[in-house]
Amino acid sequence: MTRAAPPPSQGRLAWLRRALAAVGLSGRGLVIAAPAAWLTLFFLVPLGVVFGISLATKEFGQPPYSDLLTTEDGTVQLTLHLSNYIRIFTDPSNIYINAFLSSIRIAAVSTVFAILIGYPMAYAIARAPDRWRNILLMLVILPFWTSFLLRVYALSGFLRGEGVINNTLAVFGLGPFTMMQTDFAVYVGIVYSYLPFFILPLYTNLVKLDPSLLEASADLGARPIRTFFSITLPLSMPGVIAGSMLVFIPAIGEFVIPSLLGGPGTQMIGRILWDEFFSKTNWPRAAALAISMLVIVVIPIMLMQRAQNAVVEGRR
Amino acid sequence: MGRNRWFLPLAASVGFLFLYAPILSLVIFSFNANRLVTVWSGFSTQAYADLWADPQLLPATWLSLQIAAVSATIALVLGTLCAVALVRFRRFRGKTVLQATVSAPLVMPDVITGIALLLLFVTMQSLIGWPQGRGVLTIILAHSTFCTAYVTVVVQSRLADFDMSLEEAAMDLGASPVRVFFDITLPIIAPALVSGWLLAFTLSLDDLVIASFVSGPGSSTLPMIIFSKVRLGVAPEVNALATIIIGVVASGVVLATIYGLRQSAREKQA
Amino acid sequence: MAKKPQLAADTRPWRDPAAKPFVRIRNVTKKFGDVAAVDDLSLDIYKGELFCLLGGSGSGKSTLLRMLAGFEVPTSGSIEIDGQDMSNVAPYNRPINMMFQSYALFPHMTVWNNIAYGLKRDHMPKAEIAARVDELLKLVKLDAYGERKPHQLSGGQRQRVALARALAKRPKLLLLDEPLGALDKKLREETQFELVKIQETLGVTFIVVTHDQEEAMSLATRIGVMNQGEIAMVGEPTEIYEFPNSRFVANFIGSANMVEGVVTEDEPDHVRINSAELGTDIYVDHGVDCSPEQILWWAIRPEKMVLTRDRPAAQPGIPDGANIVKGYVEDIAYLGDMTVYQVRLENGRYIRVTKTNALRGDPNAISWDEPVWVSWDGHSGSVLTN
Repeated sequence: MTRAAPPPSQGRLAWLRRALAAVGLSGRGLVIAAPAAWLTLFFLVPLGVVFGISLATKEFGQPPYSDLLTTEDGTVQLTLHLSNYIRIFTDPSNIYINAFLSSIRIAAVSTVFAILIGYPMAYAIARAPDRWRNILLMLVILPFWTSFLLRVYALSGFLRGEGVINNTLAVFGLGPFTMMQTDFAVYVGIVYSYLPFFILPLYTNLVKLDPSLLEASADLGARPIRTFFSITLPLSMPGVIAGSMLVFIPAIGEFVIPSLLGGPGTQMIGRILWDEFFSKTNWPRAAALAISMLVIVVIPIMLMQRAQNAVVEGRR
Repeated sequence: MGRNRWFLPLAASVGFLFLYAPILSLVIFSFNANRLVTVWSGFSTQAYADLWADPQLLPATWLSLQIAAVSATIALVLGTLCAVALVRFRRFRGKTVLQATVSAPLVMPDVITGIALLLLFVTMQSLIGWPQGRGVLTIILAHSTFCTAYVTVVVQSRLADFDMSLEEAAMDLGASPVRVFFDITLPIIAPALVSGWLLAFTLSLDDLVIASFVSGPGSSTLPMIIFSKVRLGVAPEVNALATIIIGVVASGVVLATIYGLRQSAREKQA
Repeated sequence: MAKKPQLAADTRPWRDPAAKPFVRIRNVTKKFGDVAAVDDLSLDIYKGELFCLLGGSGSGKSTLLRMLAGFEVPTSGSIEIDGQDMSNVAPYNRPINMMFQSYALFPHMTVWNNIAYGLKRDHMPKAEIAARVDELLKLVKLDAYGERKPHQLSGGQRQRVALARALAKRPKLLLLDEPLGALDKKLREETQFELVKIQETLGVTFIVVTHDQEEAMSLATRIGVMNQGEIAMVGEPTEIYEFPNSRFVANFIGSANMVEGVVTEDEPDHVRINSAELGTDIYVDHGVDCSPEQILWWAIRPEKMVLTRDRPAAQPGIPDGANIVKGYVEDIAYLGDMTVYQVRLENGRYIRVTKTNALRGDPNAISWDEPVWVSWDGHSGSVLTN
């Protein structure tokens, strides 16, 4: 009536069980090793290669850069050039420095716009009735699943000289306004493309906010606006920070948006790197730009980590 | 509260209008008779006929779909393994490094990933002769890598929510660990695997920058073709293609959301 | 309310030194890092028992249960079930089933398939599985619910599915982790009786983990009180309540007034304790294992003390001035069936006395600020030496 526990070494499938146990042990190692090896080879090593090549110089040939290691009279020589990095800072036209600065400026301005547009949306969705909330959330996520490139293209059709906005304004006798090929178009493009990334983490934060905190604040005599600035906003800061980073960081390295919407004056670093690589075939310079950009991107990530840790610590 | 009553719905409406108006106008103007695209001059399906006749767009679409399917599948396997290791294995050497490495591609600018992988492939070719040249294979390798990061995030969050006592209960009732995985774990995390795969598929299908770096002659993906066309101005056949893509994706997302809502409603009750 | 002993008192297996225990836990220690969740614990449980492990959170009761089920491996010590050492037996090979605190019902399977899951793993013929599952559904009164999914059931119904699933394989031993914890008070009381009934019908040995002492008292044949990874006391519910063996148990189970005192007389038939804390002498009318001048503790349940307006006559055998103390009523909590009096003694200490409200709306009931006398019998309190 009850099943007796077979001793572990007996039973008809004992060999299989033992084999599985043996595989289970090494299987655990395999589970870690497979993705770890892949990521090392195709993510970590490439970054090292970029750094290495950023220390070479441009040469004609295939591949178009100098060897770091050369053999002369039987001795191996390591030749490292810092010229690419020096050039980034000292180029007479300041093209690189300006591109970095304008990337940061454009990313920052766009992030501010994303906050101004995205915060009320996230707040409205979080406060919406249950049956509406999920539909609105889906509407935020939906564009994310459609092609980014096609959405930027759609926006260009909207903003161009004879585009939808100007055609609509013309009905009222206004315009036309030049919007395409300006920094303004790039701001709009970045906000348009990355708005879902800002809204989602903020929404996740806001929806967890205990409504009784707002009621307590109202009960203690605060008007809704006051409650918003003294309760909701401070408590939602982790969401705002996370969302802002998800706009700011990819915006710095953006290539498609400045290429399709920006003018010749909109020099963002992603575009400069692209030109350096494809038009000027200066691979070492492009590699040096990539490494510099990496440093610029890593700093805000570390700041965000620290800010979030501080928030978590503060809550404890 | 008086101010909130109109401010929030208004702000949300303006936001959604901003998100959807360009897409809607693109869809509408794909049926425009006028090749200028933005000036309406009557209904026509000419753009769709142009798309069908286009020598580049359809082959590139097919190529991109294949690349996306293969990359998403590789990423699903690697990302799931990675998520299992990070969530289920209590402690192992290099766990923090693995966690950092797998999340880094999420925030890495595409141009950096692209140039890094290209330089890797070039270096590898000169050192060991593989991969030979650049093309579909290198694009798949590159896409699998950054898609792995996204799959890991999706599966990781599902596994973290997983009630471990379900597995213990199955084991308690006599199921061996392998049995437990197929009977309990897999069915329950299946939705995450599906959405992880779809996410990876979409990202691969959408990628322009990384593919441009690591592709070779004859392996132009759909985004590369679209980019070269729209860079020069409006292209009605691209509008037509975009409408089809948006239609497919939108109905897919709507259906998936409805399904997902039912699922989560069930789980909330359970 | 306590479970009716099915066996005459003299045949209760735990009172028979020759009886063979069904579950033997021998010097089991479980460490997580440096912390011992279970510390050198030994315990015998007999066939047909409904044994309750009672303790607060972090007392190690759940860890002990998980070691029995095989989800945790003891750091040292051994567990034997029905004479078989369990050290190398995987959870899926143990003749034990468990009912989980969260119920752990498989969300993607119907109630029927949940219950049949364990039987399928045993490769039982289909017809037998069907018969067994139907029988179990009837047992837990869910005949009509076989095709539902867990999320379509109420909390109480889920609890019964979890029980049916755990019983399906007719285990020798059933482990229940807070089986009633997720139910509301009313449902919990009903389910307690059903659980006992099912256990008696099937004759399965139950080990129940709970933090709810009322639940433990009403279910158990015996209770093991756990504290910091050790068993503080094992005994039948009445023993645990009336004869606690330590200050911890006296305080943990029910409420008790506990005072410190020093032994002034230590005779084979009585002990006298002077307690400055209580402001009087305590006369205990039986011998206690102690020595003169020893400092010890004395605990008494609130309902074992008598509250009167006038000083009661000295009881035979109790020396004058002992077992009586003066105070006045500082606070009263009327609970319906009884009233709790907070009495302030002359030395400033408070003691708690309860009185059953036998008379409806007693107009003569003792009220606030009244001076009162508190007295007790020579055998009402417990002398505690550790």
